[in-house]
Amino acid sequence: MAQMNMIQALNSAMDAMLQADPSVILMGEDIGYFGGVFRATEGLQRKHGEHRVIDTPIAEGAIIGAAIGMAVGGLRPVAEIQFADYIYPGFDQIVSELARLRYRSAGDFFAPVTIRTPCGGGIRGGQTHSQSPEGIFTHVSGIKVIMPSNPFDAKGLLITAIEDDDPVVFFEPKRLYNGPFDGDPNKAAIPWSTHPKGEVPEGIYRVPFGKADIVRSGSQVTIITYGTMVFVATLAAASLGVDAEIIDLRSLVPLDVDTICSSVKKTGRCVVAHEATRFSGFGAEILAIVQEECFWDLEAPIQRVAGWDTPYPHAFEWEYFPGPARVGAAIKAAMDPA
Amino acid sequence: MVSPSRLHLPRAPARPGEAPDFSYLELSPAGAVGRPEVTAKARDIAPLALELVRVLDDRHDAVGPWHPHLDPGELQIGLRHMLLTRLYDERMQRTQRAGKISFYIRSLGEEAVSVAQCMALRPGDMLFPGYRNQGLHIARGLSLVDLMCQLLSNTRDMCKGRQLPVMYHSAAGRLFTISGNLATQFPQAVGWAMAAAIKGEDHIAATWIGEGSSAEADFHHALLFASVYQAPVLLNVVNNQWAISTFQANAGGEQRSFAARGPGYGIAGIRVDGNDFLAVHAVTQWAAERARTGSGPTLIELVTYRAAAHSTSDDPTRYRAKDDYLHWPLGDPIERLKQHLIKLGEWSEERHVAMTAELDAMIAASWKEAVTYGTLSDGPRLNPDLMFEDVFKEMPQHLQRQRALMRAEKG
Amino acid sequence: MSAPGEYVFKMPDLGEGTVEAEIVRWYAKPGDLVAEDQAIVEVMTDKASVEVPAPVSGRVLAITGSAGDKVAVGSALIVFQLLESADQASAAVPRAAPATQAAPAAQAAPAAQAAADAAGAAGAAAEFGTSSAVPAGGSAKRVMTSPANRRRAREAGVSLHTLVGSGPRGRILQSDIAAVIGDPASPEPRSSEPRSSDPQTTEIKVIGLRRLIAERMSEAKRTIPHFAYVEEVDVTELESLRSHLNAQHASAAAPLTYLPLVVLALARTLRAFPQCNVRYDAERGVLVRHLSVHVGIATQTPDGLKVPVVRDAGSRSVWDLAEAIRAVTDRARANKSSREELSGSTITVTSLGKLGGIVSTPVINAPEVAIIGLNKAVERPVVLHGAIAIRRIMNLSSSFDHRFVDGHDAAAMIQRLKAYLEHPASIFIADPTRGEA
Repeated sequence: MAQMNMIQALNSAMDAMLQADPSVILMGEDIGYFGGVFRATEGLQRKHGEHRVIDTPIAEGAIIGAAIGMAVGGLRPVAEIQFADYIYPGFDQIVSELARLRYRSAGDFFAPVTIRTPCGGGIRGGQTHSQSPEGIFTHVSGIKVIMPSNPFDAKGLLITAIEDDDPVVFFEPKRLYNGPFDGDPNKAAIPWSTHPKGEVPEGIYRVPFGKADIVRSGSQVTIITYGTMVFVATLAAASLGVDAEIIDLRSLVPLDVDTICSSVKKTGRCVVAHEATRFSGFGAEILAIVQEECFWDLEAPIQRVAGWDTPYPHAFEWEYFPGPARVGAAIKAAMDPA
Repeated sequence: MVSPSRLHLPRAPARPGEAPDFSYLELSPAGAVGRPEVTAKARDIAPLALELVRVLDDRHDAVGPWHPHLDPGELQIGLRHMLLTRLYDERMQRTQRAGKISFYIRSLGEEAVSVAQCMALRPGDMLFPGYRNQGLHIARGLSLVDLMCQLLSNTRDMCKGRQLPVMYHSAAGRLFTISGNLATQFPQAVGWAMAAAIKGEDHIAATWIGEGSSAEADFHHALLFASVYQAPVLLNVVNNQWAISTFQANAGGEQRSFAARGPGYGIAGIRVDGNDFLAVHAVTQWAAERARTGSGPTLIELVTYRAAAHSTSDDPTRYRAKDDYLHWPLGDPIERLKQHLIKLGEWSEERHVAMTAELDAMIAASWKEAVTYGTLSDGPRLNPDLMFEDVFKEMPQHLQRQRALMRAEKG
Repeated sequence: MSAPGEYVFKMPDLGEGTVEAEIVRWYAKPGDLVAEDQAIVEVMTDKASVEVPAPVSGRVLAITGSAGDKVAVGSALIVFQLLESADQASAAVPRAAPATQAAPAAQAAPAAQAAADAAGAAGAAAEFGTSSAVPAGGSAKRVMTSPANRRRAREAGVSLHTLVGSGPRGRILQSDIAAVIGDPASPEPRSSEPRSSDPQTTEIKVIGLRRLIAERMSEAKRTIPHFAYVEEVDVTELESLRSHLNAQHASAAAPLTYLPLVVLALARTLRAFPQCNVRYDAERGVLVRHLSVHVGIATQTPDGLKVPVVRDAGSRSVWDLAEAIRAVTDRARANKSSREELSGSTITVTSLGKLGGIVSTPVINAPEVAIIGLNKAVERPVVLHGAIAIRRIMNLSSSFDHRFVDGHDAAAMIQRLKAYLEHPASIFIADPTRGEA
């Protein structure tokens, strides 16, 4: 066991897998010699060699297209897209090819590619460094979509992703790389070293897909969330003194519908929170499922907390970011609707 | 006075009602182009991209340094594969017109491209075809029955009903699944080749797109990665002059040959007569050896003509001169190889007629068998439950539920 | 257990502590198609006849009981075959005007049962025409409540239409439903006497109206500190006026009794004593003063004591009042009173006429704060202007809620009433000190 921040946990996952499986390779911009702009692949090229940790040109479409070919050729590529904001040039290869190979070839071909990419705001990164596009990918059948919220989950989920024979898009909330963040920018930053989920086993372990984590058990309201919002929601509920059950989905596709529904049936009240833009966001899917499965147990309308439907602004970071106030208002509305 | 626009708008040389005009083609005389060493550096052989490698001259004699000196038996096999491809295409075209399959794409006039290239490669080499490369599948010996069942989407369909007709694949035959999206296979082939190199294997990858598709970003991505990593891959651009109704000038062929993009990216580019079986084989073999021995990738432009429509949904008389194919300066691939073999004393018209009849009979028999596995209108049908399989390796809960809903819908 | 597509409608609790209701008349029979909210059966509770609306649209499969049968609250009453929504639109039987039974009559609401309390406050509002209890959205048919509450109501066999929502904009809350379902552990009232087959005794279940009266009387006596004030009133002049009016208007529907005259005088009196024309809202700790005087007329009926209400007594003429009094009391005796008619009084008058005795201690009709009792009117010898005279004397025996009405005010009020009654003309003359015309 060791205390790790999320970056170290991800590094540890990749290191362990490079070690255990010779078919695993890493590729991406600045990841090899330099170790990645977020240091996620630090030291790995030195340790495992240039043929295993490959620096690529700035061509996201080529990175993903080549990763597919490599995977078909028997390798197990982990491709980094430097920021989720830049994933779109590779969107065609992901949606039209990666997601469908197994299906259209009736299982004769498949590509076990993992695409890792930092996402999310709270870092004053503006619209090209702060997006959360997970909702665009959850809509495409054939890819798994994962977003951990802490180092323990990050390492275990990344290992599961690399071992999975299905393609995975693995979103890493960059605001959580160094420590949990509860949405209050004026607080001093807390490192992962003091957090229980910063305790990470050294070797290989797996966190399964399709299983949500109940971060906090509660009886009054269910908060369904993922990524940075896990910590924001925790703060909001605590500030209100509400006994909230907080669920960290961490696996969006496949989705743990059973945990969601058991919780809402127990509490009768539900808040869905994500950083991504509101309209057509992944939260809308959760709302629809909760409405379908738990309708007769609902005491109040399901509340949704999300980013505003604008491009991510630079100067208005804290007005944009769905902080504890926004989550708090939603919790109140769920408890006592007008 | 109205000043003319400075914007240049490419045009086709001849439209319906006009006389076919192929004067725009840049040709070299047969045998005139030199053959560099396999180990030659890309930057030293750039002019190759602007010339046209030809072996068979207009009298069906093989000439020049690119003469592959293939065994006549090999050539006869090549002729057989090409003829089978053509006859299969003709039969499937008629079948579509008769409503027995929903869609078909012929490769009329381009048989040498796929067949000769395939025969110059090894069985262990991975192929990433486009949708007009069925000569590869035939040359690799895929069963006609299997191909036909894919067209029929019946109970023996290799794609289990998921794909449009002609989107074949074969894991054993090292033929990658064909995509409906253009040019996506290009960077995938480069990746496969990179993997072979990383693993230290001497397999190479080869991939095909049309000249129209070379406009796509994936083409440029592939060339970039192939160049940066010197991937052992053959990047083939089949310039058949037309992308549906769009003339090749619109894909950039007017200002520069497609092969010339190779040297632009720092890789070897070579232009070859796509209707010349011997030249295609020779160039492919040269490029394959380059790749296998660490001299890097090659961009091969095969100059040919799309003799028929783009697909069964297209009517070329609406945008190009009728019977223009008959005026194509580089002739017909099957006719030319046949004549060459006859000239060598290794073939005859009678044998050709006989082989035609034999292949026709084989195709007919295959069709008869294929339809027993189901047709569009009768016979056994695939179970719609298959719709929910292979989305993921294991079927997730939500798809199990949806399958149940679909079953309930059907009653 | 109902089969899929079937809905078993149980006898709803119509408030007022009903444990059972008697079927008066069925409006539908098995095989009929009914639309949601259409009146399907008329049942009689202790207080009133009530039309019960269909809770769903559907086809009637089975009904329980025929006219005259008593059906226990919570037992199956009707089984419906549910329709698809398309059928609802084409349900053959036209919608009858739904009975507006949104609020159980708070007037008769038993204080003992928590059931009515929640509805009572809202019910009070409804009685006076301010329908804050009607759900928002304009349509009285739509019920606003959460999905979970719909399930609770369905499982308990409670028709949401019979409830008044105490939530925002009239939304029905979980507590509203819980209140109606009541304490499932509350036992049936039973006699503490051992059961016997002694032919000398007869057992009568204390249910229905009797039970209601019993509870209300106990509650009133228990919670209200009554004080009594008795005064004798010389009604000789009043009697003279009455006789004259009756002689003059012999063709009128019925002869006047003292009652309309007393009620009118009372209404005039209360203008100066608004603190006696009040309903006490214990839950909120608020005395609600009313401008209008709605007089409850204590009436003996075959079933027991009922108190129908004549609204806005102060603005009526004597004849109008007489007619109104007769109408409501007739209906009460015939058990035909509507729920509105049995609730909302701000003060009650009780008179036993010839049986009136000389003094009585009436029990206040909660949540009012005063009750005026009329004793027997008899001829008595009195001293008048220093000489013995025979005058007609009637006592007024009144009770007041000493929490809210001080002795002085009660006395002053009765004195004023006495003054009006002893000089009846003054009832009809405007009071200049009050700026009246």
